[in-house]
Amino acid sequence: MYKKLVTALLAAGAAVALAACGGGSDNTSGGDGSGEKVTLKFQSLAFQKTTVAATKKIVADWNAANPDIQVEYVQGSWDSVHDQLVTQFQGGTAPDIIHDESADITGFANQGYLADLTPYLSQQTKDAVPAGVWDTVKSGDGKIVAAPTLLQSYVVFGNSALLKQAGVSATGDSLSWDQLAANAKKLTGNGKYGLGWGLKSPTATVLNLGMNFDGAFFEGSGRDAKAKIGDAELEVPKRIHAMAYTDKSIDPTSLTQSGSDVLPGFFGGKYAMVVAGNYTAQQMAEQAPKGFQWEVLPPLKGTSEKQAANPQTLSVPAEGKHIEQSAKFIDYFMQAENLAAVGQGDWLIPTTQAARDKIQQATGGKNGWTQTLAGGSELTKAPFQSVENYPKWKDQIATPALQEFLANKIDLATLGRKLNDGWGQVNS
Amino acid sequence: MRTRPVTRAAQYVAVLCYLVFLATPLVWLLSSSLKSPQEFASMDPSFLPQQLDFSNFSDALEEQGLVRSMLNSLQISVATTVLVLIVSLPVAYALARFRSRLRPVTNGWILISQVFPVILIVIPLFMILRPLQLTNTIPGVVIVYMVWSMPFALWMLQGYVAAVPRELEEAASVDGASRLRTIVSIVMPLLRPGLIATAMFTFISAWNEFFFALVLLQDPQLKTLPLVLARFVGAEGQVQFGPLAAASVLATVPSLIFFAFLQRRLVSGLLSGAVKG
Repeated sequence: MYKKLVTALLAAGAAVALAACGGGSDNTSGGDGSGEKVTLKFQSLAFQKTTVAATKKIVADWNAANPDIQVEYVQGSWDSVHDQLVTQFQGGTAPDIIHDESADITGFANQGYLADLTPYLSQQTKDAVPAGVWDTVKSGDGKIVAAPTLLQSYVVFGNSALLKQAGVSATGDSLSWDQLAANAKKLTGNGKYGLGWGLKSPTATVLNLGMNFDGAFFEGSGRDAKAKIGDAELEVPKRIHAMAYTDKSIDPTSLTQSGSDVLPGFFGGKYAMVVAGNYTAQQMAEQAPKGFQWEVLPPLKGTSEKQAANPQTLSVPAEGKHIEQSAKFIDYFMQAENLAAVGQGDWLIPTTQAARDKIQQATGGKNGWTQTLAGGSELTKAPFQSVENYPKWKDQIATPALQEFLANKIDLATLGRKLNDGWGQVNS
Repeated sequence: MRTRPVTRAAQYVAVLCYLVFLATPLVWLLSSSLKSPQEFASMDPSFLPQQLDFSNFSDALEEQGLVRSMLNSLQISVATTVLVLIVSLPVAYALARFRSRLRPVTNGWILISQVFPVILIVIPLFMILRPLQLTNTIPGVVIVYMVWSMPFALWMLQGYVAAVPRELEEAASVDGASRLRTIVSIVMPLLRPGLIATAMFTFISAWNEFFFALVLLQDPQLKTLPLVLARFVGAEGQVQFGPLAAASVLATVPSLIFFAFLQRRLVSGLLSGAVKG
């Protein structure tokens, strides 16, 4: 019996090892731009079913029209892309075309891992994207290290029935923070809250929306940047705190939840409004109970409607063998029709006006698209996006300090002090 | 000795509670895999689905190449397990039976090797495998998993070898058996539970491993199961709960079969060891 087991194990091992030896392949093909066929690996992080389909269609259309430059779609994951790229850049095996967000590739660009696309992208693409968005994908010396594709902003979603019932209408071009607070108060009562706000990871929200009040948080760039925490920077947390603990119009328990955790409460009528990333609309479309009507309120406005732009990007490794061909595909991807398809699939804002117009036309502006697209024009680079140790400050200082403040454990002055002093600790 | 009825009833209740405790996550997973997106967004989630929705399974199977990734994982896990056993068994025997200065050094190395975080070794490993053209290949991943699993497998097997009484080998020697014959006929049958336990550990390590596969495998045709499961998690904590649960249910099937197959042999091995010991 034992001999049989050993024999079987050895046989299986040999068979599997032999099979395994034949199983691998390295598909990176040759080609140097001299007419030889080239195969490019495009690692896409598309997540929603609709966006995956739209991205695959773009690749298929490109492949049909460009037999000499074939693109292979490789599915990546948002969850692990940073660690994966760190290793692949070191080993020189990063995909030919990289999909990631601008905040994540800034570090790679600073270390020289990304190719300068300035000479390769068409003038049409360069003109189509606003300068403020190009700033988010430029290296310190002004080189374009990626093409920005889609943008996210924070929007207010409303339960149409509850808004109507309370006589709340928000139909203007913008929604001031005072109006938001007044609406939330009006919608609070009978065990229900005007607002549910998933602020488990509050830093990104506070810094992005802080631009509504010209909150900069940092002066300078790189390692020389200095923290700048004043009234403008503390305005957003102050207002959220006041709604939660003075007006009691935000459910304080929602402040400890993630953005999508508050959706069941929103669908169940516990909150009349929620503030979340505009991509949440996709989940609403999929998960909302039958008959549930939701809408997107106009963009939030403080002294302006500005928010930080952290676009999704397409970039090319500096050591890539086919930089020119990869840039050609990126140029194609940036065409209005293509950007509109992926933007609509992900419920995100394309970086070009032409693509936004196509979405507006295709959707008729319904399901909040008019308001969502309107917010796109006010997205621009924020100072924190040029600060080298920002991720460290965010994780070690800002997030715990903001969580304490939003849990009503420290006051505003202490929050300001922690944010300011904390920068000295992590940037020393 | 007869067990009192009250004691027996208490034993059954305890076993039942334990089974419920063990089964709940699996039942929850199965239940989640059959729920619609609307049910996931309900304020009062129910333990069982209100209405069966099989679309999560079709989504998981059609869109993500789940079956192909399962076959890749299976191929890698079985190859790793078999090769680890083949290589580590003689080494474990030598370490357990022969006194040498190398032994404490080797054992020290085994312990130290378990301390390093993966992220620290992945880049040097990558640099070694690349010139050998072993990145983006299944043999490359198998080699990495072997190296990763071997120290602990050695540690486990060494303990099992040491537990086999030397007297049995001495008796066989007195009876005229050669060392090889002694090992094959006397020691190995008694080691079967140890081999199977080590195989289980190695298999499950390879089956669940994520990071090395993520870094080493780029070809979509070679992606392993954990890489495909990660695809159901999006940016900013978005999760496709239904398809993820369905894919996870499907992912447990091969390992359940593997364990069911090996567990029977583990039990019989324990019994045979007891009789012969």
